[in-house]
Amino acid sequence: MRLSTRLARLTLNDWQGDPVELGSLWKHRPVVLVFIRHFG
Amino acid sequence: MIVGNGAANFAAAFREDFGLDGPLLVDPDLRAYRAAGLRRGRVELLSPRLLGAGLRAIRAGSRQTAVEGDPWQLGGVFVVRPGGDLAYRFESRDAGDHAPIEEILTALDPATPAIDESASRSPLLAFASRAISRVIDPLIVPSFDRNGFRLHALGFDPDDLQVDLAGRRCLVTGANSGIGYETALALADLGGEVLLLCRDPERGRGAAESIIACTGNPAVRAETVDLSDLDSVCALASRLGEQAVDILVHNAGVLPADRIETAQGVELCFATHVAGPHLLTRLLRSRLERSRDAHVIWVSSGGMYTRRLQVSDPNWMSRRGAYDGVTAYAETKRAQVVLAELWADELADTSVVVNAMHPGWADTPAVRQSLPTFHRVVRAILRSPAEGADTVVWMAAAETARRWSGRFLFDRAPRTTHLLPGTRETKSERASLWRRCESLADAAAARKP
Repeated sequence: MRLSTRLARLTLNDWQGDPVELGSLWKHRPVVLVFIRHFG
Repeated sequence: MIVGNGAANFAAAFREDFGLDGPLLVDPDLRAYRAAGLRRGRVELLSPRLLGAGLRAIRAGSRQTAVEGDPWQLGGVFVVRPGGDLAYRFESRDAGDHAPIEEILTALDPATPAIDESASRSPLLAFASRAISRVIDPLIVPSFDRNGFRLHALGFDPDDLQVDLAGRRCLVTGANSGIGYETALALADLGGEVLLLCRDPERGRGAAESIIACTGNPAVRAETVDLSDLDSVCALASRLGEQAVDILVHNAGVLPADRIETAQGVELCFATHVAGPHLLTRLLRSRLERSRDAHVIWVSSGGMYTRRLQVSDPNWMSRRGAYDGVTAYAETKRAQVVLAELWADELADTSVVVNAMHPGWADTPAVRQSLPTFHRVVRAILRSPAEGADTVVWMAAAETARRWSGRFLFDRAPRTTHLLPGTRETKSERASLWRRCESLADAAAARKP
């Protein structure tokens, strides 16, 4: 399965607590997803 | 888009400390990290590269603050294009391993070709994986956990899943979450017609809608059934119509804290894991045989290794006061493995193959709810639900998986069904299990309106 299919259905909150469905991020334009190790 | 490992309050502070003004998502459960296949480190965090990067950061005026989130998690960078093509993939191998910015910018150029995510692995890696697996697999923990999956996956052939399941009818029980959901999602992604058989109609519908949205495959729908209620199983079989069934995945599971009896007087674990799936298989038998190559897959558990087939008191009558859900779960998971073997014999003269499997230790909602202590202790090494579902999907979709019937698989390979002494059942115990299942199925069929 493609990575984008695995990630698309996940919904994460943004830093203000608003939900964001990952699949919506690349619906209309390319996205750079940067996974950082940790905060701090 | 930055995804961070930790809670929202830490994200706000992080954003302020580093002067970020762009969007920032938080993933305290590491769901996206796991779905993306990013590693967790141990010794990798002590890399000399990290020391160098840290010194450079200090020289530039940055100061390390308290670490918030999982300190062992490693990062990565991906570029995803509209339509879902992956243009760039970078998985950090240690703490100081960062994606070169030039490579990311190149990937953003539409002229850069997308990554072929199905590219074959090297035969050398596959050989090494098999050799190391021979040593670690008997040790259980390094085999059942996520590192075991990664090791075994080096030997997987991605071509196995380059298949089109269009026109194939796939039934998955317990498909609204965990391994069942991931199985249904993957089968839909491969083009199959997928029926999610779920107890809760609302959650079933929600899962079907989510899968349609993710895969673009409209041939996904939910049907309501309670596998523990044999009358509900009969009603489902009547509603399904006479079309051939190509894939039947017995995945629905429960782990009750107390002994619960179903409407038919059967202990809940036995009803859900054994009697219900047996009845469903029996009722769908002609529809399975109508397929040119049907596969019935029993999703068992590695926990079954700890128990012998229980036939003297499967309903927990004489042991009523000493009911233990974990034992009942393991006993019925053992019964599933035996039942898969018996069904393979029963259907030996047909085109239907029947196998059982276990997913390893996967981080599913069921494990979180039913085994909170186990989940807390081993959470860091649990497989993702998709990793747990991988062998189910492979068994359902790969032509090469049809070479076996009556076997027990784990990470795309047949395994022994006994690791501990004293767990082998006798022929008469196997016959007793079959008789009990048939007797319950006969009674359900007699009640059928």
